[in-house]
Amino acid sequence: MDLVISQLLTGLSIASILMLVALGLAIIYGVTGVINLAHGEFVMLGAYCAWFLQSQFGLGLIASLIPIFLILALFGWVIETLVIRHLYNRPLDTILATWGIGVMAQQLIRLTAGGELRYVEMPAALSRSVSVFGASESAYRLFILALALALFAVTWYLYRYTSFGLKLRAVTQNRDIASSFGVNSGRIYRATFAYGAGIAGLAGALVSPLKSVSPEMGTTYVVDAFMVVVLGGAQSLFGTVASSGILGELSAFLAFHSNDTIAKAVVLLAIVVLIRFRPQGLFSTRVRA
Amino acid sequence: MTNSQNLLELENATVAFGGFLAVSGLDFCVTKGELRCLIGPNGAGKTTALDLICGKTPISSGMIRFEGRPIDHLKEYQISRIGIGRKFQVPSVFRELTVRENLRIGNSRDPGVFGNLWRFGGKTEEPERLAELVGLQDELETAAAHLSHGQTQWLEIALILAQDPALILMDEPTAGMTGQETRKTADLFNRLRGQHTLMVVEHDMGFVRDIAETISVMHQGKLLAEGTLEEISADEAVREAYLGSGGIGHA
Amino acid sequence: MTPAGQFAIRFLPYLAFCVAILLVPQFIDDAFLLNKYARYLVFAILAVALCLSWGYAGILNLGQATTFGIGSYCMAMSLKLGTVPVHTGSEGLPDFMVWNNVTELPWFWAPFHSTTFAIIAGVLVPALFAALLGWFMFRGRVTGVYAAIITLATMVVVNLLIIDQQRYTGGFNGITDLAQFEAAGFTFDAYSASTYYLVAGCLCLTLFVSYAITRSKTGLILQAIRDQEDRVRFFGYDVALYKVFVFAVSAGIAGVAGMLYTIVMEFASPTFLGVPLSLSVVIWVAVGGRQSLLGAVFGALIVTGTQGALSESETFLESWTLIMGALFVLVVLFLPKGLAGACELLVQRFRSAAADGKASEPRTPVATQPESAS
Repeated sequence: MDLVISQLLTGLSIASILMLVALGLAIIYGVTGVINLAHGEFVMLGAYCAWFLQSQFGLGLIASLIPIFLILALFGWVIETLVIRHLYNRPLDTILATWGIGVMAQQLIRLTAGGELRYVEMPAALSRSVSVFGASESAYRLFILALALALFAVTWYLYRYTSFGLKLRAVTQNRDIASSFGVNSGRIYRATFAYGAGIAGLAGALVSPLKSVSPEMGTTYVVDAFMVVVLGGAQSLFGTVASSGILGELSAFLAFHSNDTIAKAVVLLAIVVLIRFRPQGLFSTRVRA
Repeated sequence: MTNSQNLLELENATVAFGGFLAVSGLDFCVTKGELRCLIGPNGAGKTTALDLICGKTPISSGMIRFEGRPIDHLKEYQISRIGIGRKFQVPSVFRELTVRENLRIGNSRDPGVFGNLWRFGGKTEEPERLAELVGLQDELETAAAHLSHGQTQWLEIALILAQDPALILMDEPTAGMTGQETRKTADLFNRLRGQHTLMVVEHDMGFVRDIAETISVMHQGKLLAEGTLEEISADEAVREAYLGSGGIGHA
Repeated sequence: MTPAGQFAIRFLPYLAFCVAILLVPQFIDDAFLLNKYARYLVFAILAVALCLSWGYAGILNLGQATTFGIGSYCMAMSLKLGTVPVHTGSEGLPDFMVWNNVTELPWFWAPFHSTTFAIIAGVLVPALFAALLGWFMFRGRVTGVYAAIITLATMVVVNLLIIDQQRYTGGFNGITDLAQFEAAGFTFDAYSASTYYLVAGCLCLTLFVSYAITRSKTGLILQAIRDQEDRVRFFGYDVALYKVFVFAVSAGIAGVAGMLYTIVMEFASPTFLGVPLSLSVVIWVAVGGRQSLLGAVFGALIVTGTQGALSESETFLESWTLIMGALFVLVVLFLPKGLAGACELLVQRFRSAAADGKASEPRTPVATQPESAS
C-alpha cells in the first residue's frame, strides 16, 4: 500500500513539473499557433536566473520567483517583437527561428556562465520530508505541486474571467475578425508570448534545486512539454492538466518497471502515433484552422 | 431513376456537420453535354453539394453515381481521374509557378509519379492554345502570384480545361470579376457548351441568364425547383426562398 | 530567349561547379586538406537531399540525419567486418561484440561481408525506412509542422535504440577501427585523392539526378504540392504517393552521403543521427537557398567551410555557434529563399535595368486584355 502511494506521489510530482513546463508552451501554441522550440531554453534561462540571483545576491529561491517571472516575460516580449511577430503566417519558419533562438540562448549561457553544472539550493523551510498517507514525500515537491495548481488556477481565471482573456479567446478563434472589431491582436499575441515565457522561467527556477542546471537542460524539457501539449490538445487548458497527470504517472510507472531508454522511446513512438491519428489531442474536439 | 443519359446522379445525398444538415436528401441529375446552373440563397448547400461530388466532403448517407458507377467511396484524386474537374470559389492556382507550369500541371492525363519523371515538357503546344483561349497568352512566363484576380479566375478555368474532364464543376467562376470580365467569361462558357458537361454555381443572375439552359434551385440543403429561367422566375416557392435576399433578378 | 538558351543558362552553373570540384586535387596535394574537403562535399550531398524534400516538396524533415546515420552504419558494418583478422577476438567477431559477450555474429550483420550488399543496403534501407515513415504520415495527411515534429521524434527514437543496443551497434562509441573501403579493385584511403574523387563524383551524380527530377513534370507537381497540396489532389494526382516518392529519394541520397561519411571519417557514431547534425543540415539549406539545389550545396560548403576554418582557434569556435544561430534566424526572417534567392533577385534587377527602355512593364493590365478572348 505504501509502495502504491509513494509511486502515485512520484507520478504526481513528475506531473506537476511537466505541467509547469508545458503550461507556457500550451498557452503560446494554443493562442498564436507558434510551436516554440526555444521553450526549453526559456526554462533553462529561468533556472540560470535562480542560480545567478542566489549566488550573486544571496536571494532565496522563493524571493526570486517574481523577479524571474518578470525577467523571462521581458525576454519573451523582446523575442516576440524582434522575431516571432514577422512569422505568424509562416508556421514552418517559426519552428526554424525558435530553434535558432534556442541554440543562441544555450551558447550564450555557455559563454557567460560556463558549461559546467550549477546547483541551486532548496529553500531551507521546505527541505524536509512530510508524511502523506503513510508515504514520505519531500515538502519541496509538494510545494511545487501546490504552486503548479495555483498557476493553473490563475491562468484559468485570466483566460475565462478577464477582459484580456475574452479578447484572447476572440483572437484565438479568428484573428482577422477580432482585429476588425478593434482588438489589438498584435499586442495580445505579444502579451501571451511574454506570459508563456514568464511561466517557463518560473518552471525552470522551481526545478533547479531538483536537477542540476546546465546549458543543455532545456532540450529534454521541450520534448516533454511538447508531448504534454500534443496529448492534451492545444485548445484546452484542462487538457494540459489531464495529460500532465497521465504522462507523469505513466513515466513513473515505466521508469519503475523497465529500462529508461526503452521507456523514452516508447513514449516518443506513442506521440508519433497520436499526432498521426489525433493531431488535435485527446481532450480537444477541434483544432485551429 | 438510373438513366443511361445521366452523367451524374445524386440520390438522397445527405451531409451532416455535427447536427446541421448542410445537404439533406438531395436528388439531382445532370445529363451528358448540358450546361446546368445551380443557384440558391446563401447557405443553401450549393458549394457543399459540389464538395460532395468531388470528394472533398464525405457523404453521410445516400448515393452519388457518375456514368452509372457509384463514386462516393472514392478519394479525391480517384474521382478526378474518372473525369470530374472542379474549380473552387476562391481561385486556387499554384502561385509560385508560372502560367505555363500551372497549365502543365492541369494536364493530368498521366498522373503517375514514375511516368512523369521522364516528361520534361517543351514540345507540346497545348499551354499556348489554352492560354490564348482565356486571354493569358502574353502571361505564359508570369508567376501566377502576379496575375490580377480576374486573370487568376481564368487561369483556373484554363487549368480545368487542360485537365479535360467529362464533367466540370464551377463554383462562382465570376466572383470578383468586373462587368467586362464577366461578359468575357460568359462567352467562354458558351463556347465550351457541348464539348464538356458543366455544372455552374453562380450568384450573378445576369451571368446565369447569359449562359443557362436548365437552372436548379437549392434551398436549405434540398432541391427546390428545376427548369428554364422563365419557369424558375415564375415559381412561387423560389420567390419565397429568395425573399429577403433581394429577389431573384437582382443578385 | 529560346527554351534551349534558358536551359543552358540554368544548367551552366551546375556544370561549372562539377568541373571545379573535380579539378581541386590537381591543385592541392595535402592529404589532410583533401580529407577535409571531401567531408564538406559529403555535407553538400546531404544538403541536396534535404533541398529535394523541403525546398521542392515542402516537407521539412527535421530528422534528415536519421537516414544519413543508417547509411553510415551500413557502410561501417561492412568495413568493420573487413578488419576481421586485426581487430577482433576469436571467430571473426567485431571487437565491441566480444567485449559485450556476444558469441555469434548476429544474422543481420552476416550479409555485410559483401561490399556490394552493403552499398545497396546503404541506399535501400534508408529509402525504405523513409518510404514507410512517409506512407504512415502522408496517407494520414500529416503536413507541415506536424510532419516536422514526427521526423524529429523518429530520429530521437532510432538514436536511442542504437545507443541502447550496444551489443549489436557499439552503443555510444559507435563502430570504430574500420578497414579501408575497397571497390572494383581500388582501395580508397580516406586521406588521398581517390576518396576525394569518389565523394566529388557522387556529389556530381547526385546533383544531376536531383536536377533531372526537379526539372521533370514530377518535380513540377512536387512544387505544386508545396504550394497548395489540397488543390493538386483535384487534378487526379495521388499527393501522398508523390510525397512518399520524394521523401524516399531524399533518404536514399542521405544514405549515400552517410556511407561516404563513414569512408571519409573512418568510423560511425550515434552522433551521426543526432539533433545537432539535423539542425545543421536545415541551417545549410536555409542559408544557401531551399529552392535551389546548387544554393543548398553552396550553403553547406560555406557554413561548414567557415566552421572548419574557425575551428583552428578555440575561442572563436565557441562564439561560432552563437553567430551561426543568429545568422540562421536572420536568414529565416529576411531571406526565406537564402543566398540563391538573393542572387536571383540581383540578376533580375540587373536584367530589368538592362532591358529598361525596351519594355517598361512586363505585365499587361487587365483592362487592356487583348480581345482574342471574346
